[in-house]
Amino acid sequence: MSAGTAGTGTGAAGTGAAGTGTGTMSTGDRRDEAATTGSRGTRLLGLGVLVGVVALILLGFFAAPADDEQRDAVRMIFVHVPSAFLTYTALLTTAVGSVMWLWKRSRWWDIVAHSAAEMGVIFCGLTLFTGSVWGRPTWNTYWDWGDVRLVTTLILLLMMVGYLALRAAGGDENAVATRAAVVGLLAAVNLPIINRSVEWWANRTLHQKSSLTDGNLEDLTLFTLFVGIVVWALFFVWAMVHRFRIGWLEHQLASVELEAALVQRRAEASAGSAEEASL
Amino acid sequence: MTGEMTPRAPRPLRARPAPWIGAVIALALAAAVVVLVLNLLADSLYFYNADEAVEQREEIGSKRFTLQGAPIGCSIVEGFNGDEPVVAFSLSFGGAAIDVVHHGDPAELFQPDVPVVLDGAWVAEAPLVEGFGGIANDGWHFSSDRMRVKHDNDYINDEEYDERSTLADDGADLTGVVCEA
Repeated sequence: MSAGTAGTGTGAAGTGAAGTGTGTMSTGDRRDEAATTGSRGTRLLGLGVLVGVVALILLGFFAAPADDEQRDAVRMIFVHVPSAFLTYTALLTTAVGSVMWLWKRSRWWDIVAHSAAEMGVIFCGLTLFTGSVWGRPTWNTYWDWGDVRLVTTLILLLMMVGYLALRAAGGDENAVATRAAVVGLLAAVNLPIINRSVEWWANRTLHQKSSLTDGNLEDLTLFTLFVGIVVWALFFVWAMVHRFRIGWLEHQLASVELEAALVQRRAEASAGSAEEASL
Repeated sequence: MTGEMTPRAPRPLRARPAPWIGAVIALALAAAVVVLVLNLLADSLYFYNADEAVEQREEIGSKRFTLQGAPIGCSIVEGFNGDEPVVAFSLSFGGAAIDVVHHGDPAELFQPDVPVVLDGAWVAEAPLVEGFGGIANDGWHFSSDRMRVKHDNDYINDEEYDERSTLADDGADLTGVVCEA
């Protein structure tokens, strides 16, 4: 099998992903080239993330004002809301990748779905953690089982951990991709419930309504929040690109191993034939 | 005679999945099911608003439940019941007021007009906290032992804004108006 059988997007992944061509990495040179997932673009992106994080720290801790009720605890919004936003982004990406796998059988999209799911678990975990830390001084509790948004977000995290465990369980590559795509789509059903829960259960939930769409924020607080979202989004793209490239290289390596196994089998068959002929 | 050159079906490249992976999947699924079942079995109504709690007082009886309402500012009295700190106040929502005695320290952000979510039960007697008159004064009080603060999505600094009066969503129509009663 060559990389060309991987479906759409092969060129983009082969060239953009590993910095190598679309070859099967059978030569030493190509292996060397493929040994990194970095490129000029990702390094610039990474630099942008670092600069953005420094700017976010300065804005978040020193420029943005404290809230008159929550005081400094409000600064958690600059991490919590972007994490939630990127959780949605990651899980939507997984859902799109899952649909494309089921529809086109495109390995490229399958790897996109898998990579985004890993990002989703990280951001969802971060959302729950920062929300919990923020909840202690403001709500007076780290967690409340009665709150719809908290519990549905935890269910989403568990589903995505299940998605990754399913991926890690191994087995036929196509079957695993199909099962994972179904789980990815099931998890995505939870997204609108999480997002709208504070409206659907208005006056029945501890969690406040959306800060971004319904909130009343100071100008500098709003600006810092958007900086946070941009920085997190850049980090998401940076990490996604690297994770995708790793996934693509793993896929190529599996192809090479298969090809090597076939060559070995043919060699064994030829040797057997020659032996029979000599007898 | 030539050898059979047709490639055999490739062997799976991955080994059998490790047993722990199955355990992780089972654990994750079990955890999801437990969370779902616990929440479905529990009262799906997270909290009663003050008006609903008053309306359904007979049905609720002495069962523990969760109550939501906005504390009425001038009713708040802090004191001690022996060594135990208590805070007595009246809260309102949807036109109804309830007298509350919370056992323990109040939440850090506990303040007038910012809604609270309390766990506790009805007690069929007037609150006995020195200095607390109570707004409801109906021979009942809500005895609470867990308090959460339900803050809203206003993130405003009082140097620039001091006009905000946080209402308990749309229902806190008794907020700050009946203290002299």
